[in-house]
Amino acid sequence: MIGGESPEKYQPLPGGSYTPPSGDRGSKILAPLKAEGARSVTIAVVSTVVVFGLLAFAILNSSGWPQIKEAFFDPMVFRESLGKIMEKFTRNVFIFLVAEVFVLILAMILAVMRSLRGPVFTPLRILAAAYTDLFRAVPTILVIFLLGFGAPALQIKGVPHSDIFWAIVALVLVYSAYVAEVYRAGIQSVHPSQVASARALGLTRGKTMRFVVVPQAVRRVLPPLLNDFIGLQKDSALVGILGYTEALRQAQIISAANFDFTPYVALALVYIVITIPEARFVDWLVARDQRRRQVAGGV
Amino acid sequence: MRKLFAFLVVGSLLFAACAEDNPTIGGTGATATGGTGATTSATATDCAAANADAFKSPGTLTIGTGNPAFPPWWEGGTSDGSEFEFNDPAKGEGYEGAVAAEVATRMGFTFPDQVTFVPVSFNKSFAPGPKDFDFVLQQISYKPERDDAVDFGESYYNVNQALVSAEGTSVADATTIEDLKDAKLGAPIGTTSLDVITEQIQPSQEPAVYDDLAQAVTDLQNGDIDGIVVDLPTAFFMAAVQIKHGVVVGQFGAESDEYFAMAFETGSPLVECVNLALDEMESDGTLDDIEQQWLADKTNAPVLD
Amino acid sequence: MAAAAALRIEDLHKSFDRLEVLKGIDLEVDEHEVVGLIGASGSGKSTLLRCINLLEPVNAGRVFIEGEEITARGVDVNRIRQRVGIVFQAFNLFPHMTVLRNVTLGPIEALGESRSEAEAQATELLQRFGLADKRDDYPDRLSGGQQQRVAIVRALAMKPDVMLLDEVTSALDPELVAEVLNVIRELAAGGMTMVIATHEMGFARDIANRIGFLDAGVILEEGSPEEIFSSPREERTQRFLQSIIDAGRM
Repeated sequence: MIGGESPEKYQPLPGGSYTPPSGDRGSKILAPLKAEGARSVTIAVVSTVVVFGLLAFAILNSSGWPQIKEAFFDPMVFRESLGKIMEKFTRNVFIFLVAEVFVLILAMILAVMRSLRGPVFTPLRILAAAYTDLFRAVPTILVIFLLGFGAPALQIKGVPHSDIFWAIVALVLVYSAYVAEVYRAGIQSVHPSQVASARALGLTRGKTMRFVVVPQAVRRVLPPLLNDFIGLQKDSALVGILGYTEALRQAQIISAANFDFTPYVALALVYIVITIPEARFVDWLVARDQRRRQVAGGV
Repeated sequence: MRKLFAFLVVGSLLFAACAEDNPTIGGTGATATGGTGATTSATATDCAAANADAFKSPGTLTIGTGNPAFPPWWEGGTSDGSEFEFNDPAKGEGYEGAVAAEVATRMGFTFPDQVTFVPVSFNKSFAPGPKDFDFVLQQISYKPERDDAVDFGESYYNVNQALVSAEGTSVADATTIEDLKDAKLGAPIGTTSLDVITEQIQPSQEPAVYDDLAQAVTDLQNGDIDGIVVDLPTAFFMAAVQIKHGVVVGQFGAESDEYFAMAFETGSPLVECVNLALDEMESDGTLDDIEQQWLADKTNAPVLD
Repeated sequence: MAAAAALRIEDLHKSFDRLEVLKGIDLEVDEHEVVGLIGASGSGKSTLLRCINLLEPVNAGRVFIEGEEITARGVDVNRIRQRVGIVFQAFNLFPHMTVLRNVTLGPIEALGESRSEAEAQATELLQRFGLADKRDDYPDRLSGGQQQRVAIVRALAMKPDVMLLDEVTSALDPELVAEVLNVIRELAAGGMTMVIATHEMGFARDIANRIGFLDAGVILEEGSPEEIFSSPREERTQRFLQSIIDAGRM
């Protein structure tokens, strides 16, 4: 080789090929503390205690606090309502689990429909786009209302009257629209060279989607997928407007009987308790996938 | 490290939570109904005058009620400029409308000029904190469990619950509670009507609980429920107006001790004043006249027991 | 010559919207021949390679593989691509699959081989190129050089007639380049027909039977490595080579 200077060292591609230091990637909140040592820790601890302490002090000494405490944090009402609410909550769980399964499937169909290339597929693309536009436009509560009260009113033989049925149908219709867009974003985020590599092996478009694009797309959008799933879990409460007693409605009933809002606090706690582990689980999945994804940059 | 951190956060919160509550000024806990007025007033007017600054808007009586305002409790139709649907409470018509007008007058206010009606949702009527009204008047039943959150006035109407349905349903010809055991019944949320189903009737199917009666009616017409439990006057109204081929099947427990009362902010001295007015209306027969005028044809139903 | 050329390109034109990138390429590659393509970035090397396996549709001109015109109407594109192996500069491997699965995906799903057949073949290939111990790893555990070697193995597993290599070492750290070049050397020694687009001039000089200099959409000059590198005829070729020397890459 002519010339003595060594060539420029390869620079990592921006936005993707950084490999984080190995070790605990878990808590980003506390990470700076570990980095900087004991003095920082002391400052952090003191500042946390002071801020939260002041906040709690301000709230608890406000003039309205005793009333709020009685209206929202009444131990007796809490005890009375928690059991009943948890019992009814199993109905919500049933609804959102069943709905989620169908949502994930229908949304994938819609996303793939919309991603199809080729002029012959235009009607499918239009259909998928119209569907997502429509069901993202109409508020979920309206869809449940219209289907739950309207469909049985048609008095057509064979059309189910069950509140749960129509609630699940409505939730599936609405959430598939949102999740389809999430999938679509995931599909589009898969680098085109992945598709090129798969097609170059002689794989058909369908198999490329199935083995190469979709698995990667789904892994990439796990956080927004979880977001929508969490939203779905909350919206399962909407079946209550059809008259069906699920957890929120149960909370409303107890609240109205006692003129007290504590049952809502109890329900909120139930939701918190189930949502936080879900979020941590997805964090773990994402971290595991991140490690594998680093490399697609071809370093 | 993370454990220590978490411990400190939780610890500081717990510590603060255990701190003594400061004694607060005004609005703590329920005081006995009857108020804390300095002198015992003889008439409602005197009482109102003595507590003039206890009114939300001095010189005016502010009454809260639900929007829309339904018959037979409120009648007379809507007015331009009023935000109330169906009926404008300021007309003083309908059972509650008439009671409101009468109570206001007896407390020294001219009706409707010195009375303001504000729409108050059910939850707002008992939410903690200062209220936008002097009292709420919207078919609220007294229940001991509710007594901590608000102060109740005396009864202004003794309520009986009833079952309303449509011709041809499985309950249309029911004569006893036994006949209702297999029925799917509905009730509006937040009402003692629901208690009747769960405590008295105890059918094998769970009751359907609705945000408003229109939805209950829809389900009734769909055949998704067999009947609706509501208070007796409302049952008549629904059978006559809202339900196609509606029929009042019957009423529950002629000896029921349920009653409607107005709800006040806890510790309000106006409870006494309103109670005085109601006492007067009771003893001089005005309350009966009002009932005759607005609910006469709405009380005759066979008793289901 | 009697036998059809392994690869023949006739007057190939390719445009992206209004910009014509390939303005009439003619090239013939015999069996077992290794052709090196050099040229500045943007000269169309990648585009040319992608046209050969129809990853890019061709605007005009014809391409023949083993005598069969692949640019004709009604040609089964997937079948053609199974016969032409291509390795890119980056983003090659499927990150959500193990090395083994990366290599067996094509044979199983495109060629219809059985799993055991495909895995046996894959293991053998990986062994041959020193990657056997990485068989069950995910690409994130491999260095860049190892990944590119796997990418080459993956293409080989399809038993292609021609291999196209598109700047496969350009994205690698210098110390990893050599291992990849060695693999390519071995392929050439084994008689694989190849078209290699590269910046590695020394390597090209070493391994190619012929060099083509691609400039502004045409093959400006073509000849043996000696001809091109030591005594280029065209002025633009000379300028290009000079710029390479100045950059210390030769």
